Amino acid sequence: MFDVPETAMKNPIIEVKNLGLHFGPASRPVRAVDGVSFSIDEGETVALVGESGCGKSVTALSLAKLVSGSSRYVSGSVMYDGKDVLQMEESELRWLRGNEISFVFQEPGMSLNPVFRVGSQIAEAIRLHRKGVDVHDEVLRLLQLVGIPAPEKRMRSYPHEMSGGMQQRVMIAMALACQPRLLVADEPTTALDVTIQAQILELLSELQKQLGMAILLITHNLGLVADVAHSVNVMYAGRIVERGPSRELLRNPEHPYTHGLLAAVPRLTGSVGRLKSIDGSVPHLAQLPSGCKFHPRCPKRKPDCEGVEPELRESGENRAVRCYYPVKQGQHEER
Amino acid sequence: MSTQMDNVSAESRSLWGDAWRRLRKNRLALWCLVVVVIYTVTAFYGEVQYRYYQFKDEQPSYQRPDLDSQYLAPSLTRVLKGEDRAGRSVVKELLRHPCGTDGLGRDVLARLVQGTRIAFLVGIVTSIIAIPIGVILGCLAGYFGGKVDDFIVWLYTTMASIPGLLFILAIAMVVGQGLLGVYLGIGLTTWVGLCRLIRGEVIKHKSSTYVTAARALGLGHARIIFRHILPNVFHIVIVTFTIRFPQAISTEVFLSFLGIGVQGEPSWGIMISNSRLRLWQGVWWEMTFVTIAIFLVVLAFNLLGDALRDALDPRLREAG
Ligand SMILES: Nc1ncnc2c1ncn2[C@@H]1O[C@H](COP(=O)(O)OP(=O)(O)O)[C@@H](O)[C@H]1O
Ligand SMILES: [Mg+2]
Repeated sequence: MFDVPETAMKNPIIEVKNLGLHFGPASRPVRAVDGVSFSIDEGETVALVGESGCGKSVTALSLAKLVSGSSRYVSGSVMYDGKDVLQMEESELRWLRGNEISFVFQEPGMSLNPVFRVGSQIAEAIRLHRKGVDVHDEVLRLLQLVGIPAPEKRMRSYPHEMSGGMQQRVMIAMALACQPRLLVADEPTTALDVTIQAQILELLSELQKQLGMAILLITHNLGLVADVAHSVNVMYAGRIVERGPSRELLRNPEHPYTHGLLAAVPRLTGSVGRLKSIDGSVPHLAQLPSGCKFHPRCPKRKPDCEGVEPELRESGENRAVRCYYPVKQGQHEER
Repeated sequence: MSTQMDNVSAESRSLWGDAWRRLRKNRLALWCLVVVVIYTVTAFYGEVQYRYYQFKDEQPSYQRPDLDSQYLAPSLTRVLKGEDRAGRSVVKELLRHPCGTDGLGRDVLARLVQGTRIAFLVGIVTSIIAIPIGVILGCLAGYFGGKVDDFIVWLYTTMASIPGLLFILAIAMVVGQGLLGVYLGIGLTTWVGLCRLIRGEVIKHKSSTYVTAARALGLGHARIIFRHILPNVFHIVIVTFTIRFPQAISTEVFLSFLGIGVQGEPSWGIMISNSRLRLWQGVWWEMTFVTIAIFLVVLAFNLLGDALRDALDPRLREAG
C-alpha cells in the first residue's frame, strides 16, 4: 500500500541537539525532555514513538518553540537553517510557524476553531504567509488535494458538521497551506477509527511524495510506522532509548522497551493471542528511578541497571540503543 | 463515508442562526424580546423628539408648564368618573393626557417617553464604556497571565472593594452633576464582573488545542486573542450586556432620585422624586406609571438575559 523511497536526500533541515525541557518549580522539576537529539532530513519521514507521557508532544512542539505553560529549556538547541529556534524572536518564530514548519494535532475536532467555517480557517492560513494568491481558489485546491469530496460545499461547513476523518483532512489542508518544509503530525490518527487511520496515513505519504516535505510522525503505535517512516526514534521518560532505520529496527529491536511496544501492537494477521502490554506504567517525570529509567519495568534487568544510566550508544549502522544488555540479532524470542 | 455525504447536503447553519433557533423555542423569551423592542422604539422616538425641539430651539412640550391642567388624572379615570369633558368626544378625551399630568400640567406619558430615552442612553453609553474595558482587560489577564494578570486582578479587586455609589459620587464631584457624571460613574465601575468572567473563560480557552493550532500557524497574540478566542466567549458579552443594562437603568433612577444624576430633564428618577410629594394627596398616577415602566423593562431584560445565556452557549450546539 505504501512505498518508502529508500534513498531520502541527506540534508538535515532541522537538528535537535541535547534538548532539555523542564516544567514546574526548579526545586522539583518535571523533566519532560532530557538530552534528546535527532535530526530530520529533507523529504524524510521520521517517527517518534513511545507511550503516552513520554514527552513526545513537548519535543515536537519545541521544534517551533510552541510549548506553553511553566516550561523552561534547560539545555540544548533546535537548529533550523543554521539558527537556533529556541533563541528566535517572536517575529522570526511567527515566520517559522506555518510557513516552514506546520503542525497537525491529535484531536482534529479540538484543533479547529468551533465558531468559524472551515474554509475561512484555511483562508486565514493562506493570507497569513502568502501574498497575491487567489485565496478562494487556493482553499478549493487544498481541499481537493487532501481528498475532501464536494469542496465548494465543504468550505462553508462548520467543524462540528464534519466527521473526525474529514476534520483531520481539513487540518492537513491548513498545515499545507503555506507549503511547509516540515510537517509535524502529532498522533494524527489516534482519535480516529482504524479504517480512517489508514486513509489518513496513506494521504500523508501520498502528499509527501507530491510535495516533497519532511514529516515528523508521532505515535504510540509502533505498528503504524513500518510502512511510512524512514527512521524511528523510540522515546521513554523524556529520553530517546533506541533509534534506527524503521525496517531494521522493527525487524531487530534491541531495547527491551521497543520489544514491549512491538508486543503491544495489535496484529490483523497471524495467530490470535492476547495483546501483551508492558507491565507497570511510565514513571512520574518528577520522580524518575535511578539508573536506566526503564529498569523497574524491564523483564531483562540486571542489578547494575539501577546504578549509572546507560548512554545512547551506537549499535550498528545508523543505529543506537540506550541499554547495557541490548537484545542481539536473532536473540529475541519468536512472537 | 455515506454519513459524510449526507452531511454535505444539509445546509450549514451559522452560529447565530443556531442560537436564534433555540431562542425561538422559548415563548417567554420571545415576549421579553417584544417588550424590549417596544421600549427601544420608544426610546428612539424620544430621541427624535428631543432632537427636534433642540433643532427648533424651543422649549419641548413635555417641559412646558400648562397651569390649566395641573394634576389631571389619567384619561380613563376621568372618563369613568364622568368629569367635565368641556365639549370633547369620549375618544378625544381618552387621548388627552392618557397617563395624566403632573403638578405643572405636563403630560406624564410624554415625560415617560423621555425617561425611556434617558434610561436607554444610560444603558447604552455605560455599556460602551464598561464592556470594552471588561473585555480587553479580561482577555489580557486571561491570555498573558503572570504579571499582567496579577495587575489586572489587583485592579478589579480594588475597584470591587470601593462601594459603587461612593465612586459615582466622587466622579460626579469631578465632572459635575448631569448625564456625563452618570455615564462615567456607572461606566467606570461596572466592568469588574464582566472582566472576571472573560478572564476565567479565556484561561480555559487558552490551553485548548485550537489556540495551539493557531499559534502553530504563526498567528500573533492580538489576532489569537481577539479573532480566535473572543468569538468563542462572545456570548458572555451579550448576556452580560442584557443583564447589566437594567442595572445601569436602576442606578440612574436612583442617582437622579437623589439629585446627583440627571438635571432638568424628565428622567424616571426625577419623575419619581417629583411625584412622591403629592402621592399622599391622591396623585398616584405619575408614580404608578413610572414604576410600571421601570419594572417591565428590568424584568424583560433579565428574563431575556437568562434565555440568551442558554441559547448562546456554544456547548449546547447540536452536532450535524
Ligand atoms: N503544559 C504543561 N504543563 C506542565 N507539564 C506538562 C505540560 N505539558 C506536558 N507536561 C508534562 O510533560 C510530560 C510529557 O508530555 P507529552 O509531551 O504530552 O507526552 P506524550 O505526547 O508523549 O504523551 C507529561 O507527563 C507532563 O507531565
Ligand atoms: Mg502527546
